[in-house]
Amino acid sequence: MTYRTTLSRTWWLKHNAFKAYMLREATVLPLTFFILCLVSGVYCLWQGESQWNHWQTAMGQPWVLAVNLLAFFASLFHAWTFFQLFPRVMPIRMGHISVPANVLIAGQWAAVLSVMVLFSWLFWGKL
Amino acid sequence: MKTIHITRYLPESSEIPFVQQFDIPADDSTSVLDALNYIKEELDPSLSFRWSCRMAICGSCGLMVNGKPKLGCKTFLRDYQENITLQPLAHLPVERDLIVDMDVFLTHLEAVKPYLISDDSLSTEPNKQTPTQMAKYQQFSDCINCGLCYSACPQFGLNPEFLGPAAITLAHRYNLDSRDHGKAQRMPLLNTEEGAWSCTFVGFCSEVCPKKVDPAAAVNQSKVESAKDMIIQLFKGNL
Amino acid sequence: MNDRTTENMTIKPKKNHRSSEPVWWALFSAGGVCFAVFIPTAILFFGFLQPLGLIDFSYSQAHNWFFGFWGLMFSGAFIILPGFHAAHRIRHGLHDLKVQRHGLIKVICYGLAGLISLLTLGIWFTGIIS
Ligand code: SF4
Ligand code: FES
Repeated sequence: MTYRTTLSRTWWLKHNAFKAYMLREATVLPLTFFILCLVSGVYCLWQGESQWNHWQTAMGQPWVLAVNLLAFFASLFHAWTFFQLFPRVMPIRMGHISVPANVLIAGQWAAVLSVMVLFSWLFWGKL
Repeated sequence: MKTIHITRYLPESSEIPFVQQFDIPADDSTSVLDALNYIKEELDPSLSFRWSCRMAICGSCGLMVNGKPKLGCKTFLRDYQENITLQPLAHLPVERDLIVDMDVFLTHLEAVKPYLISDDSLSTEPNKQTPTQMAKYQQFSDCINCGLCYSACPQFGLNPEFLGPAAITLAHRYNLDSRDHGKAQRMPLLNTEEGAWSCTFVGFCSEVCPKKVDPAAAVNQSKVESAKDMIIQLFKGNL
Repeated sequence: MNDRTTENMTIKPKKNHRSSEPVWWALFSAGGVCFAVFIPTAILFFGFLQPLGLIDFSYSQAHNWFFGFWGLMFSGAFIILPGFHAAHRIRHGLHDLKVQRHGLIKVICYGLAGLISLLTLGIWFTGIIS
């Protein structure tokens, strides 16, 4: 005769490590919203100039800005977690030495930065 | 003095687990295991728990300390406030008090063929291995089979058929070993839904592991191996 | 005392069915990289700077940009792969919340991500040929 405790739907509220995990998983919710923003932008661009201008105004509505602000922080939080996991999933060895995780993490943040620089250059032409 | 709340279960007298409270004299060197032994010797001889080495080697003294899987002998009362709760390891069937049934865990370990499988050559040469070859798997061979990672894993809690952190780590440890030729035999199990693929990289298993094995890394490296295996079989026309 | 109350814990003989998960996981991982590397910048520029009028992104400029090679790259890295990333996490998240109609949820999650992908690629393609 044995008993076994089962997990309830709210198991993840019982420990901080699990809350952090669920927060990480939840970053895709505001991401989904932003993806839908982009898809509608592409659709409006296809429809014509007036629709494109409508889309730009719609993106400026306070609640849209607010959700996208959330999405912005979500993407950074996701990046922070994702970059730490990467060296553990795919450890990289060069000959005899394995590349330290810190180097790989820094490299990934450098990639984020270079994308920002690239976009700034595209939109402002000069830096 | 510290107060310890223990979830007890005495199936012959009651089917329902209950919580019992004990006051323990404690100094800086009192471990949770010392406290349990004190209770058994001085306060209540009916308390059951497992232990052997009391030096974090045998892996038998696992339990939940304030909801986190820990080795009793490696956890000290000085690191906790007045009140400490002790429960049997989560996600496993409880037989009595702090003793859990480790059968599932052991069956899962066995299922991955955790031993060197040689190729067919009947060579009598010793197996040679360079330090670099050994470094590839060494961290994953430090496991002491304590089962803490299974108690930490919500995916195992949600689905006990999941092979689980330690078993997958063990499979990966042998797959990485240059002396082993058994990877082809281990992959089919790792490739299943209950193999590496139930994992969502919660990562708590690695946090609780007393031996810094990092089972979460091994499981996710196994996913990469499983994905590679799928591509290889695809090109061989076996899919 | 040998009768256990834990039938559910006994292990059934494994049929060793290969999971299709490598496919979804590959999309999830690629999408995760895009979410981390590209999306912060995308939100900054298209979510804030553009609606707040801090950058000028005219219709013709956007049109030329999107309906060309870079539009295809943009669709993949900013919409399609992150879409599959999100679908994957939502699917597993529902399992974690014990919503476990696995087959149905899988179809809905990846189905929607697939629809969004088709829609985007369709728009891009018709825009290119017109
Ligand atoms: S991997 Fe770590 S936590 Fe899991 S059984 Fe081995 S030693 Fe214990
Ligand atoms: S008593 Fe052996 S590990 Fe704790």
